[in-house]
Amino acid sequence: MKNVFLPNSIEEFRQIWSAVPDAVLMAGGTDLLVSLREGKTKVKNIISLERISELRHIDCSGGEILIGSLVTHQQILDAPIIAEALPVLRQAASLLGSPAVRHMGTIGGNICTASPAADLLPALYLLDARLELHTERTKRTVPITDFIIGPRQTSLSEGEFLYRIRVPIPVPNTRAYYFKVGQRKALAITIASMAALLRLDTDMTVLEGRFSWGSVGPTVLRFPETEKILQNQKLSEPLLKEIGEKSARLTEPISDIQASADYRRMLVSNFPLRLLQAEKYTGSNGKK
Amino acid sequence: MTEALAPIGTVLTRSDASAKVQGCEKYAADYYPQGMLWAGVKRSAYAHAKILRIETSKAVEVTGVAAVLTSGDIRGSNRVGVPEMDQPVLADDKVRCKGDPVVLVLAENKKALELALEKIEIDYEVLPAVFDPREALKPDAPLLYEQRPGKNLLLSGTLERGNGAASLKDCKFVVEGRFKLPWQEHAYLETEAGVAGINSEGILEITASTQTPFRDRNELSHALGLPADKIRVTAPYLGGAFGGKDGITVQGLLGLGAMHSGDRPVKMWTSREESFLSSTKRHPAELHYRLGCTQDGILLAMTCEVVLDTGAYAALGGAVLAMVLEHAAGVYRIPNVFIEGFCVYTNNSVASAFRGFGAPQGLAGIEQMIDLLADEAGIDALKFRLKNAVNRGDTTGSGVLMSNSTGIISCLKKVQRHPLWINRQDWVNNAPAFKKRGVGTAAGMQGTGYGPVILDIANAKTELLPDGRFRIYSGVADMGQGNNPTNIHIAGEILNQAPKDFELLQPDTGSCLPSGSSSASRTTFSFGNALIGACKNLKERILTRACNLMMGAYFENLLLARGKVLDMTSGREISLQAIASSMTEQERISIFSYIAPAAKHPESVNSEIRFLGFPHRIFSFACHLALVEIDELSGEIEVCDYLACTDAGRILNPQIYEQQIHGGIVQGMGYVLWEDFRIHNGDVLCRNLATYILPTAVDIPDLQSLAVETEETGPFGMKGVGEIGINLPYPAISNAVAQALGRRIYEGPLTAERVLKCLNSNPTGGKSED
Amino acid sequence: MKISFRLNEKMIEIETAPDRRVIDLLREDLGITGTKEGCGSGECGACTVLIDGVSKLSCLMLAAQLEGRSITTIEGLVQDGKLHPVQKAFVSHGAVQCGFCSPGMVMSAVDLLQRNPLPGRQEIRRAVSGNLCRCTGYQKIIDAIQSAAKELD
Repeated sequence: MKNVFLPNSIEEFRQIWSAVPDAVLMAGGTDLLVSLREGKTKVKNIISLERISELRHIDCSGGEILIGSLVTHQQILDAPIIAEALPVLRQAASLLGSPAVRHMGTIGGNICTASPAADLLPALYLLDARLELHTERTKRTVPITDFIIGPRQTSLSEGEFLYRIRVPIPVPNTRAYYFKVGQRKALAITIASMAALLRLDTDMTVLEGRFSWGSVGPTVLRFPETEKILQNQKLSEPLLKEIGEKSARLTEPISDIQASADYRRMLVSNFPLRLLQAEKYTGSNGKK
Repeated sequence: MTEALAPIGTVLTRSDASAKVQGCEKYAADYYPQGMLWAGVKRSAYAHAKILRIETSKAVEVTGVAAVLTSGDIRGSNRVGVPEMDQPVLADDKVRCKGDPVVLVLAENKKALELALEKIEIDYEVLPAVFDPREALKPDAPLLYEQRPGKNLLLSGTLERGNGAASLKDCKFVVEGRFKLPWQEHAYLETEAGVAGINSEGILEITASTQTPFRDRNELSHALGLPADKIRVTAPYLGGAFGGKDGITVQGLLGLGAMHSGDRPVKMWTSREESFLSSTKRHPAELHYRLGCTQDGILLAMTCEVVLDTGAYAALGGAVLAMVLEHAAGVYRIPNVFIEGFCVYTNNSVASAFRGFGAPQGLAGIEQMIDLLADEAGIDALKFRLKNAVNRGDTTGSGVLMSNSTGIISCLKKVQRHPLWINRQDWVNNAPAFKKRGVGTAAGMQGTGYGPVILDIANAKTELLPDGRFRIYSGVADMGQGNNPTNIHIAGEILNQAPKDFELLQPDTGSCLPSGSSSASRTTFSFGNALIGACKNLKERILTRACNLMMGAYFENLLLARGKVLDMTSGREISLQAIASSMTEQERISIFSYIAPAAKHPESVNSEIRFLGFPHRIFSFACHLALVEIDELSGEIEVCDYLACTDAGRILNPQIYEQQIHGGIVQGMGYVLWEDFRIHNGDVLCRNLATYILPTAVDIPDLQSLAVETEETGPFGMKGVGEIGINLPYPAISNAVAQALGRRIYEGPLTAERVLKCLNSNPTGGKSED
Repeated sequence: MKISFRLNEKMIEIETAPDRRVIDLLREDLGITGTKEGCGSGECGACTVLIDGVSKLSCLMLAAQLEGRSITTIEGLVQDGKLHPVQKAFVSHGAVQCGFCSPGMVMSAVDLLQRNPLPGRQEIRRAVSGNLCRCTGYQKIIDAIQSAAKELD
């Protein structure tokens, strides 16, 4: 039998954790309990963080959105501030799992599980999210790129936990998108995904373009050199094709039960063209 | 349940729905008998190996373990299966596939069970294994059954008509195609489950999720060495089955467990992972066709070779092969035909019955060939089908005489007149950027029942209860298709009573009568006919007794009304309760046996194929239309619209009818688009529902279903509707995709990956094989 | 450990292992078998229950998490012997076949209608996209939920 602790505050959590330092932290449980079932993880004690209300807030401060690590995907979908400031994160959350999974799973869990296929990660990479990591005594803030070091591997030190996520609000007139291909439209593990951010001048000249790629490498990937191709160019099909093809060459996908590495590369090649569709769509509809 | 009378042909709300939707219907998985032990199985780690030694002592020592059993504890033959009894309850000399059960453990709780299973040690001598059916047919292939005269060939058969292959040279147009169809997993929501115990009279009682309670009893008697009258099997509502519970799943293990549990009940319920590992699948198939027609598009000749991988045990593989052969030429008159099929043992998972029972495979082949040939001949695909489709009195390419109602031409014409078909070109032309659109059709049929040799018999039993209500003793399990509510509907019509006036006893070998399996589109066809007979007899008996009791009443003036018999001339009435109280129990019970009509011709085909079901006599028919849109950037296929026109005879209840059509279509969409049950070198790679992809609600469009009602010999003119829906999404969608891509993908399912690779390998379009 | 929670409006106190899955607690310890298990790993939705009114998967929850919560299972939807409008619509629209997915499906629908009283067809499809059904092809389920929404509105 395992002990399950349910602290109500950070204070209480710290006390429990120092008493049972071998405990595994559980956020929404949607990954941990599956992994326990499969026998991949063996644990003695579990600390569930779900009752620490301090970790369940979404706030806005100093040009940043602050998201507590135990904020659920559903909260992300429901929060007006996210819809307004970080619509791409909302879009990613909407494509994750199923409603019940979104009611349980959390942003912190998605990050700390560090699956290359995690749905929120490409958006967080794209937005240069930083993570606040706390121990009993220390606090540090690291870019998400430094936090996730490999498939299901993070740079969390012993006694450290993810407190909250800080996401800088993009400057006005940027648009961001998340595209995902899975084996079906819901309840789907991501085969490959792309988050993209564009800041366009009125004549469709690209002032800034960023791309992050999910499930095509050990972690979510960004290729800053490739992104530069877009700079000050007019958005066009050939240009987007070039971005896709160059990025595809830089990815390091694996073949698994969901898809082959080849297919994943093909998707990366094609993903940027979706922006053309999306831009046309938002253009004609007047929506942003 | 409703108070109103519900005439046949109108919607009657299903009587089982209320309890199910409240969570109070008890499925086999929901039984937790007092004092029960959990049963679990140690399964083979190898695809083919000799068992040298089984060490159970460490498992026995685990606290909470009640028994650890091996094949040595089995008194009977330790073999189940029909018609070949080749599958051990627990493996004895060797294992033939991964997942074969070797040791059974009974324990107080699941944790002790798990621990004990881990502590069992089995020494194997690993044997060479074979995973490809064509390899398995080679002379030097490893043998699964060393003594079997046919070696790894379970069954082969040929159907030959006219000049066979020789006539291909007389054709103006000839096309060729090789198709590879995947395994399909039933993936019923309720995995294999049941409980068993020995009652105070020494009878082994098993309640299991099974389509075949009566056949199970016979097989268990043989395998466990108990007389059949010492075994009782009951079948509550099943949480889905689709053919996957057509035969023994956990019943043998449960029975064995109960015989060694120290008089405690035992329960077994497989996990999803164990279910995927150990349950049967739809046969993967390789089909090689040549099909030719005249200048005018009249079909002239066809050859077809079918290879089915039946896995480690025969199960119903032979009968599935017979069914593939029968449906391999579809609904067309083809005078010169050579069809040849092989059903082969391998060390893969066992393949057996799955909704459609071979028809989906055969029709996936012929219906894609028809499109290829129509294209070659430059004839519209629907017109081509209409030119060649059978009428009643015609014989199909497989040599099956259409002796009964044959509505295929009406189905085809209905599609032809539909706006989705008429406006198809506009729709295709209006594809948005980065999308390709295509429209495809397919036509086909589904044979009903067991074929010419094995009689399709149902025995219905109904009772007038002492309180004036009625009881139906069902002989066929309801796996979800709603035959129980339909039985009430039918009995209500004959006896003129409301649904509320009936109670229905689910199949119980202790009190109901053997009526065959819940399968083969025959459940309502055969049992319904038997039930009509039983109800008619009972009605006559009730009216006759009313004459006795109401002095001076004449039989022909009496009306059986709700709860009473009414003398229409005098207005006098007598309650059914009063009539019942004047009867002995024997009189109150009515039994009727029905034998379904069977085709006896042709007799030329080989006797085993006939024995296993060729040919059928009653067929349901359908034509489907699929409109698909392909995303050029990802290869994802979206089915935008889907239309099914079905001839399944008269519709007894439009709601249940549509349920079957919708459910069948979506399972068929799964088959062609997503469901790729992968087994590699005997290893099941799809271990769970995250890796075996079933369609969700957002993957499916709203479906349209139109009916063509023909009259037939079934109850009130119905024909089976349970399977026909699954037969055509595979070819209809494949044809639509082929049109959109300008080329065909021959290996299924049509995953986004396959589609995108096809698009990328030949971006200019044009025909070539994948 | 001893946990106490509200189950279908009734206070429950029960001694259980803290790491027992909620689905096992319900089915095996409390004998309430309306909540079904179809996969044990959050991929089928058959075990969906409402925790404080929100749909969650009882196969991915531990008993300890129930402490102080209010849980509604399919058995708790019937009020004064009357079916919940969603249940009623499932029955009348033929949304039930084998019925093994129905309890979870109904709970997801109830969750949806609390959030969005008049959902469109596509929104309904999305709302039950975590509930696999192998029998119906979903159409009649969508019909039923749409009709229940109208009735509740």
